[in-house]
Amino acid sequence: MTQIPNVAIGLLSALALAGSLVAAPRAHAQGASRLAVGVAAAPHTMDPQAADVDSNMSAMTNIFDGLVQRDTAGELQPGLATAWKRIDEETWRFELRKGVKFHNGNDFTWEDVQFTMERLKSPHSEFRNFGALVASVTPVGNDPWVVDMKTRGSVPFFVQTLHMIFIMDKESTASRSEGEVAQTPIGTGPYRFVEWVKGSHLRLAANEQYWGGAPAIKQAEFRAVAEPSTRLAAITSGAVDILQDVPVALGSALAKHPQVELVSRPARRAIFLGLGNKPGTPTADLRVRKAMYMAINEQEIIEKVMFGRATPAAQIPDPPTVGYSKAITRLPYDPDEAKRLLAEAGYPNGFEITLTGPNDRYVQDAQIQATVAAQLARVGIKVKVDSKPKSVFFPQVSRHELDFFLIGWFDGSYDFGRSFRQLLHTVDEKAGYGATNGAGYGNPGLDELFAAAEKTIDPEKRAEALRRLNEATMEQVAVIPLHYQSDDYAIRKDRGIRFTPRSDTWIVFKDIARSGS
Amino acid sequence: MSGYVTKRLLQGLVVLGIVSFISFAIFQYLGDPVATMAGQYATQAEREELRRVLGLDRPFYVQYARFIGNALRGNLGLSYVARVPVLGLILERLPASIELAFAAELIAVAFGVVLGALSAAYPRSWFSRITQTGSLVGISLPTFIVGIGLILVFVVWLGWLPPFGRGETVPILGGAWRTGLLTASGLSHLVLPAFTLGMFQLAVLFRLTRGGVIEALQADYVRTARAKGVKPPVVLFRHVLRNVFIPVVTIIGLQLGQLIGFSIVTESIFQWPGAGSLLLASIFESDFPVVAAYIMTVALIIVGLNLLVDVAYALLDPRIRYG
Amino acid sequence: MADPIVRRVLGRPLVVAAVGFLLIMVLGAVFAPLVAPQDPYRLMSLSLGDSLLPPVWMEGGKTPFLLGTDVQGRDILSTILYGSRVSFLVGTSVVLIAGVVGGAVGLLAGFYGGWLDSVTMRLADSLLSFSTTLIAMLLLGIFRYNSLLLVILAIVVAGWVQYARTMRGRVLAVKEEDYVTAARAAGSGAPRLILRHILPNAVAPLLVIAAVDFGVAVTLEATLSFLGVGVPITQPSLGMMIAQGKDFVYAGMWWLIVFPAGVLMGIVFSLNVIADWLRDELDPRLKAR
Repeated sequence: MTQIPNVAIGLLSALALAGSLVAAPRAHAQGASRLAVGVAAAPHTMDPQAADVDSNMSAMTNIFDGLVQRDTAGELQPGLATAWKRIDEETWRFELRKGVKFHNGNDFTWEDVQFTMERLKSPHSEFRNFGALVASVTPVGNDPWVVDMKTRGSVPFFVQTLHMIFIMDKESTASRSEGEVAQTPIGTGPYRFVEWVKGSHLRLAANEQYWGGAPAIKQAEFRAVAEPSTRLAAITSGAVDILQDVPVALGSALAKHPQVELVSRPARRAIFLGLGNKPGTPTADLRVRKAMYMAINEQEIIEKVMFGRATPAAQIPDPPTVGYSKAITRLPYDPDEAKRLLAEAGYPNGFEITLTGPNDRYVQDAQIQATVAAQLARVGIKVKVDSKPKSVFFPQVSRHELDFFLIGWFDGSYDFGRSFRQLLHTVDEKAGYGATNGAGYGNPGLDELFAAAEKTIDPEKRAEALRRLNEATMEQVAVIPLHYQSDDYAIRKDRGIRFTPRSDTWIVFKDIARSGS
Repeated sequence: MSGYVTKRLLQGLVVLGIVSFISFAIFQYLGDPVATMAGQYATQAEREELRRVLGLDRPFYVQYARFIGNALRGNLGLSYVARVPVLGLILERLPASIELAFAAELIAVAFGVVLGALSAAYPRSWFSRITQTGSLVGISLPTFIVGIGLILVFVVWLGWLPPFGRGETVPILGGAWRTGLLTASGLSHLVLPAFTLGMFQLAVLFRLTRGGVIEALQADYVRTARAKGVKPPVVLFRHVLRNVFIPVVTIIGLQLGQLIGFSIVTESIFQWPGAGSLLLASIFESDFPVVAAYIMTVALIIVGLNLLVDVAYALLDPRIRYG
Repeated sequence: MADPIVRRVLGRPLVVAAVGFLLIMVLGAVFAPLVAPQDPYRLMSLSLGDSLLPPVWMEGGKTPFLLGTDVQGRDILSTILYGSRVSFLVGTSVVLIAGVVGGAVGLLAGFYGGWLDSVTMRLADSLLSFSTTLIAMLLLGIFRYNSLLLVILAIVVAGWVQYARTMRGRVLAVKEEDYVTAARAAGSGAPRLILRHILPNAVAPLLVIAAVDFGVAVTLEATLSFLGVGVPITQPSLGMMIAQGKDFVYAGMWWLIVFPAGVLMGIVFSLNVIADWLRDELDPRLKAR
């Protein structure tokens, strides 16, 4: 009878031994010229046109170049175009960079630009909407290094968007199947593609012939770590050098870690609540909208739900966006005034409404919904919270079938006009207005201001018109703004990394430096 | 016998047919792939056009017929999200899941059967009581709690094991299979997820073995062997374990398919680049072609394993009626 | 009559403890509105000012919140009581619905055989290829609304299979017994045969499955909520409490996960202990220990 426990102990110690033999986990990321970044969302595809989300473009910008690019501060810089100007309302002229080669050795020419713009319209592209705006790409006269792009109508944000349009090699893209193109990318960018395992990692190697100079980091890797607790373990164990999207709840714990440094910057994305105004619904009444706004204690949300990792928002656009207005301030948090307004509007006992939102999209998204429901309950509004995966939520937004919803937005083109057209314009399927107007909000007065701004070509005057539109939007409480998320990164201190977070959250390896070992 | 196998094969085909049909009939409710595929700035008209181009505006039985037709020709289509061939995507992920499932099953069998047999052989010892209670704890622990707990202890507190991923892998079989079993890094990455996944299975096998052994120990032939003075370990391993072999193999066969196909929670907690996490991501991304092909693949594996178990069963135990 | 059973139960302290724990939890859950310090599902009663408080015996703890509070300011103890209501509701509904549906299907399939048997058993085989998560997602896609009902439905869709299989197996065996053959020969009709002779003799193994399945259903609900396709966030179940609390463990706030996880494990463990005991009671061959 006594030998049995011995057998068990033997088994256990054999296992422990096996464990110690194989325990060599200190990751590969230690050489001075290697860098691994842990990201919450892995790149979806290697086809640079097949995903328009930042998590994908963040990877693509290392392999491909646009005609223009944005620096760390978000300013436009030359890319595969060395200069550009707007010739007339519908024409943009670009001077192309000479002597650039794709990773497969092909020369970069104007035909690649033309091909890329044309391919935006294919079913594989998530930039079909932008592609539809491009009428033609033609060289000017006999010079193949100067091209004119014509747009359909006036597109004020045209060049502002081109940093997201990555130039593809005509020859190798056209000759390969879509499956191969989306598996093995060929670009002109600072890094060559090495290996991609979907949902796991993407490995890149420096392009020593890069036109902007060979990058300092020679081997770069995106590693996907979705689970927040696993993400924490990834950075503390040193498996990654930089961790993007530090889980907010763990920020303070990580800040205490001796080998980890936290770097934050205010993110561009504003989180806000959309509200319908269909006649007969309580939220059609401006007093009710104001009451709901004033019942929300944003300071409390930031402190307790966002753990301080957010700044209050009073409008949808962020400061660098054309149309941002300093004049707009938040309505004060005042539940008593909110109750008074509700009573005045004929709802002294509140009303019932459903708040819909994603639970896997934004920082603390479902928690914010629960908190908003609790705060509105205090002024008598009974909110039913319906948070769900984004794949179920966003189609509902596209069908404009919601009453009250939480969504986040930032405009890649830095243009509030584009945001308004998408989010708040009266739904007009034909013209493409209000595609993301989840509650079918409509206000003819605002639509007129928008139309006036769209007709304005002079950038200064247009900015002024968009500011007026934005101010009017907030006077009408078309949405209830909550906050701008904060972008938090955790960086290993012991590895001499110099990294500046970008406003667009892209990880651009060529801009990251490492000193010594 | 061959008639029996043919019959089971036919039944398997029917199951595959039903599986594919059910999945297709309900897929249209799994979110709207066009909503993301058209891009966030797409207009309704652009969405509808894309829907038409993809054939998603057709009734589901038309889409179903086309899917089956293509599938029979070995073409499972392109993923809506990754835009790469679905089959490649699944085949790339399956090795990771198969290695994880086998490692988990190995742990479960090694610990479950041995501890179960020992616990049954000495039913009144403290060891038996502890392991029996432990097995109840084992089947009561939700997988995600086990996973989080193991990470907390072995990664965050002790720092012994790596937190996530599969580590370094090397290609074998001419590159068709990437294995993590041949590198130290790969093996160290396997330990925690394999234990997490194997825990429940271990407890089940423990209980099965224990019950079977106790039953066998009371059987006449074992009593006889004991009375003749055959040493206890010999009795245990030669006479008794043979008796529990059939149910253990049955359970392993039935569970292995589920372990390969649906280790979703374990794979997502450990960021294991296997098929389960691919399925979870594809479900949440409304990536129909991947989900459909995936379910079919899992059905194929499960049906195949069940068939193997049935045949093995019939061969091992002639008393089983072929019916 | 009941005396030997009581004595047999009392002879096994683990079973006594399990029954005791379940009894306390069930009473706590049923009378939660009376005993819980707070109604965590009533949004009015929550205050973010009280969020993430530690248990009362730790520094910073506050009196009404015995086991601390979560990120929304919900009292952990109250949420556990209300959350275990969800667990028990899911467990009971799943076992009842899946047991009755699966049992009936298995009974009819086993008794009548033929095409009915083939169709239902192949359907059962097919459902093995769908994970519960997938089914839950599909249902969510169809109904577009997170609710407890969907969770129950998703678990039932996958769960009835084993009842059907077990029942069918038992019916096939019982059907050949002498007393059934005799009753049939005496001219009993099918309904009478099924209800009087077959069902009573085939139902016992289902009880054991039900006890185990109760625990499995509770765990599955927790897993679905953990994956974000479970109960609404304003009505957290034990599983959702764990999902919400897990990130905070690394920030030192262990009470968010330890208490709900402990209770969840305790419930499932107790159910398994009882299932084990039930199996022994119903299967005399294993009793000689």
